[in-house]
Amino acid sequence: MKRFLIIAIFLMTFNSEARLKIEIAKGTEQLQKIAIVPFNSNINSQFEYQVRNLINEKLTLFGEFESLDLSQMLSFPFNEANFFVRDWELLSIDYVIFGEITETDESLEINYVVSDINLKRIMLRGDISGLKKDIELIVKKISDRVYESITGLKGIFNTKLAYILNPEPDNYSICISDIDGNNEEVLFSSNSPLMSPDWSPDGKKLAYVSFEKGFAEIYIQNLLTGVRETIPTLGMSKSAPVWSPDSKSIAFVISMSGNPDLYNYNLKTKKISRLTSHYGIDTEPAWSPDSKKLLFTSNRSGSPQIFEIKLSNKRIKRVTLEGSYNSRSRFFPDGRNIVFVHGNNGVFHIATRNLKERFINIVTETKLDESPTISPNGHIIIYSAKKDDQGYLAGITLDRKSKFELPVKIGSVREPAWSPFLN
Amino acid sequence: MRITKTFPLFFLLFFIGCTTQVSDSVSQTNYVEIDGIDFNEEDKIETSLADRVYFDFDKSNLSDETKNILSQYVSESKKASLIRLEGHCDERGTREYNLALGEKRAIEVKNYLIIQGVSSSKIKIISYGEEKPVSYGSSEEDWKQNRRVEISLF
Repeated sequence: MKRFLIIAIFLMTFNSEARLKIEIAKGTEQLQKIAIVPFNSNINSQFEYQVRNLINEKLTLFGEFESLDLSQMLSFPFNEANFFVRDWELLSIDYVIFGEITETDESLEINYVVSDINLKRIMLRGDISGLKKDIELIVKKISDRVYESITGLKGIFNTKLAYILNPEPDNYSICISDIDGNNEEVLFSSNSPLMSPDWSPDGKKLAYVSFEKGFAEIYIQNLLTGVRETIPTLGMSKSAPVWSPDSKSIAFVISMSGNPDLYNYNLKTKKISRLTSHYGIDTEPAWSPDSKKLLFTSNRSGSPQIFEIKLSNKRIKRVTLEGSYNSRSRFFPDGRNIVFVHGNNGVFHIATRNLKERFINIVTETKLDESPTISPNGHIIIYSAKKDDQGYLAGITLDRKSKFELPVKIGSVREPAWSPFLN
Repeated sequence: MRITKTFPLFFLLFFIGCTTQVSDSVSQTNYVEIDGIDFNEEDKIETSLADRVYFDFDKSNLSDETKNILSQYVSESKKASLIRLEGHCDERGTREYNLALGEKRAIEVKNYLIIQGVSSSKIKIISYGEEKPVSYGSSEEDWKQNRRVEISLF
């Protein structure tokens, strides 16, 4: 039986600026059931429910789990001594999360346990402590650990998204927020277009394109200090910056006299080397996880197709063969699979492909999908889509069991860029 | 004997070959600095000519109709001190590719004007890709309006 869940999660907005919020469009057909028990506290304080609710929000964020309502729980265990498997078997629960909070004036310590009801086994015993004011970070870290113990995938609750907001014509902002849209920060605003955000591998800087000087220029902005620098070369038009995973360089595009080619900017020596030289369009570079090769889009064979260039010998080979429009690719963290935009008869979908195989998997259904970005654990794709003349972000888990949307209230949001794992 | 002599030479040539390949770096003097061109919209010269020309999807070639419009610009262009060509695309396809495509469109217009005798140094091109549509919808008609090069004389 197909089950479509329409759940709107109204996230606690600590930050009134937050404009994105996740809405689950379709839950998994067979949702795993979790139960998160209110944490027991040594002093009856606000944290016992807050911690529970925050973990609940995180784990159910992408529609991957169904969480048991508090009112249906038969018991409220907080340690292994008062935890009874049968209380949860009766409710067909797959995993139970419970624990205790020990509070002092300013700090707290949380002991938590993840139990697999089907295997009748404790999967994880965790212990985390910190200041009360860092409760959000503590909860993200617990959620990451719990998610990993259940799914085997590293949690992404402590990662961020960068994106371009365009609330009205001639008003552009580059923003970063938590992946649930909370804690939105505006990094830079302009009345000229902003494009192509890309994170440094340490998550401390963002590269992007701004037209503020009347032409396309790449800026590298320090997220902590706000200091902005450019790539030290003159040029007509610079675009599509992408940080190499080894942090050594930024690949980008310079267009001289209307001829865009790929270049590589060495961040240490500040030297720029040319990678491609073709009269057609070469753009949209994307690094392999080992920083040894790049994918890029070129129309050298007539229509836009994805090619690969090896850095060591600059040898180029064509990657996509099917269809008249394949572009803006990114590698998955495994280095074996890629995601890209596939156009056919004027309709554009997000597609994935294993580089060893020829066939492609189309993973989205809307018509103008673009700018796919992959979660650092390789499990989720977020991309830009459009409906009713408004750009919004949408996401899909790679097992295609869950779909969600991140709309904005006013104007458009686009070009999502997922941060690396952050500390 | 001969082999021992040619081998080191071969390696030397191979080595030179390698170094020239990797030292293909960009020096600043190769480029024309375009910073600081502030087009003052008040100085824009009003003409009775169509101020934009249109293109097919994922194409940058000029139609006969476009060439006809551009031909009418030749005499006006010779009087102007600056000609700005702004390339644009419709929303279909990817943004960075469209940025490059918009530039190809502006270059095609520029080249046509140069062939007709307009001084290349007067022509400034810029592409906005799909970032500045004139029509925000997603119909064929909207897309047609957005695939354009805007021509301004100063």
